[in-house]
Amino acid sequence: MKNRAWWFLLPALAVMSLSAFIPLMTVINYAQYSVFPGSAPQFIGMENFADVLGDGVFLDSLRRQVLFSIEILLIEIPLGLGLALALPKKGKWVGWSLVLLGIPLLIPWNVVGIIWRVFTRSDLGAVPAIFNWIGYGAYNASLNSGDAWWTVVAMDVWHWTPLVILLCYAGLQAIPEEFYRAAKIDGASAWSTFRYVTLPKLRHSLILAVLLRFMDSFKIYAEPFQLTGGGPGNSTTLLSIYTSRKAIGGFNMGFGAAVSIIYFFLVILISWLLYTIMMNVGGGSSK
Amino acid sequence: MAKIDLKNITHVYKSGGEETRAVNDVNLTLAEGTSNALIGPSGCGKTTLLNIISGLLTPTEGQVLIDGKDVTELPPRDRNIAQVFQFPVVYDSMDVYGNLAFPLRNRGTPEGEIEGRVQEAAELLGLDDRLHENPASFGPEWSQLVSLGRGIIRHDTTALLFDEPMTDVDPGRKLTLRRRISQAQKRLEVTALYVTHDQHEALTFAEKAAVMKDGQIVQYGSPEELYERPVSTFVGNFIGSPGMNFIDCEFAGEDLKAGKFTVPLNETMRNSLDSSWSGVELGVRPNLVDVYDEPEGGGEIPAEVTLTEHLGSYQIITLKVEGIGVEIKAELPLEEKTDIGSEKFIGLTPKNIMLFHNGEAIQNEKK
Repeated sequence: MKNRAWWFLLPALAVMSLSAFIPLMTVINYAQYSVFPGSAPQFIGMENFADVLGDGVFLDSLRRQVLFSIEILLIEIPLGLGLALALPKKGKWVGWSLVLLGIPLLIPWNVVGIIWRVFTRSDLGAVPAIFNWIGYGAYNASLNSGDAWWTVVAMDVWHWTPLVILLCYAGLQAIPEEFYRAAKIDGASAWSTFRYVTLPKLRHSLILAVLLRFMDSFKIYAEPFQLTGGGPGNSTTLLSIYTSRKAIGGFNMGFGAAVSIIYFFLVILISWLLYTIMMNVGGGSSK
Repeated sequence: MAKIDLKNITHVYKSGGEETRAVNDVNLTLAEGTSNALIGPSGCGKTTLLNIISGLLTPTEGQVLIDGKDVTELPPRDRNIAQVFQFPVVYDSMDVYGNLAFPLRNRGTPEGEIEGRVQEAAELLGLDDRLHENPASFGPEWSQLVSLGRGIIRHDTTALLFDEPMTDVDPGRKLTLRRRISQAQKRLEVTALYVTHDQHEALTFAEKAAVMKDGQIVQYGSPEELYERPVSTFVGNFIGSPGMNFIDCEFAGEDLKAGKFTVPLNETMRNSLDSSWSGVELGVRPNLVDVYDEPEGGGEIPAEVTLTEHLGSYQIITLKVEGIGVEIKAELPLEEKTDIGSEKFIGLTPKNIMLFHNGEAIQNEKK
């Protein structure tokens, strides 16, 4: 520790402490107490965790949350990649396309929720009107849980596919033209070129896109909260809505803290799994 | 093995209403199994021409013939041409074996046959003990070998095209790579075309070289021809390092004068001149400039040494001639004393000089 450079880490450490370490320690602490506003905290050990894991609504929300993330990844990643491939590589349309694509990303989360709520209102929304027009008259996001679910998914796809497109597009632009020329000389088909040139070169962009989209979708709160409030029933109650409902709505801070910790480790664990799988998948074989 | 014919090839790039004529009416024949180079300054159309031969580009006008067969409209995969690019291309999603096998797999060659071919190509290129490594970690010279390997793996490869393959390679490794490329080319007796702006590289690789300028081939010949008998001042200046010296001369009766100095001409030269011309350019290679410490009595031109550059086993000196306003470069042995500011005398002899008119070499046969 003779090196004085270590002192330069202090500001970062201070910021990290305030933004991450101290809140996290508080949450870990709370999770072991029964904490209700107005009464003295009481140490109860692992009881909160046992309660959480025994709560059917928690398990339902978790299952719903996992399903939601899987669905939006399965839609947004291929769709984003496909659209990125379809975008012009050069010319005057590049700038316009990117600006248009960027618009949803510039809208705050809860505003997106409100926009979609208006958009899908059964009395004056465009979505029900369109469904009516094509003959599916039963659409109602505030009564029908299936409609509510797919509306939340559609909203997320609308909001975040542009991010995937931009990441993939940047990755595509970074692939030297020579690779495609060489593939032509080597007689590769369009599929072969995509499989052995484009896709491997996009690995890092795709990992980034998958991780960002997984983490964000797994933590999604403001948009469905504004759009459906978790309903009808619990049909769109995702994990964060459940957590805030318990901790803030139900004033059960200890329970909420236990949910948060489980939540936190799930995000880390699944992200690590996704990263590891994507780093190792799809090497070319010798024989 | 194949003979490649380019007939009246013209290529025009269009971008935003502007047209650029990258290749302009090129005719060239590459004989079967020969190694050829295409040299010229950056932007002269070399790479465009190469891409036209391989089929990556379809020329605006003209025909590409391989063994007499018109392939102008055929895609690269149907031409059996291999091309190694400036940027070393290896598919890092596959190991070396997978890379070499890739072109064969793309055409559905049976795996059993692929294995033998991969072995064969790998041995030829010295890649045999690295077959199961991932080429992503290879330096540019090994990557270029993998890239070349993909080209020669097909037994029916008709031609090997190289597009400045040494650009990214460390200077120390260039020699090894060049030797391997040369070996492979000779062993396979395949027609090769090597594009570069480095004449040294071109002239050591190729039996014949084509010099390109502004989309046209200005001369195609052996390295000796290009060096000794350049067809224009451009070739004279481009080939050789440093290039040919040029001095503007005027007629003074029967004689040719550079400033106030008389240029010695022989009978053939004198006969090839046309007195209606306002003047000619005299060209002389730096190694053919005679430099003396004292006048020898043969009309030597006095000049002052302004720069000396030591280049290993010889030196290049720059001489400034009073009253002519040109700088002459001369190649001298290292032992020669060449202090800056000292006076020297330049001797020009008819056998060492060439004459040019409007940039074109004057043919001595011309009467």
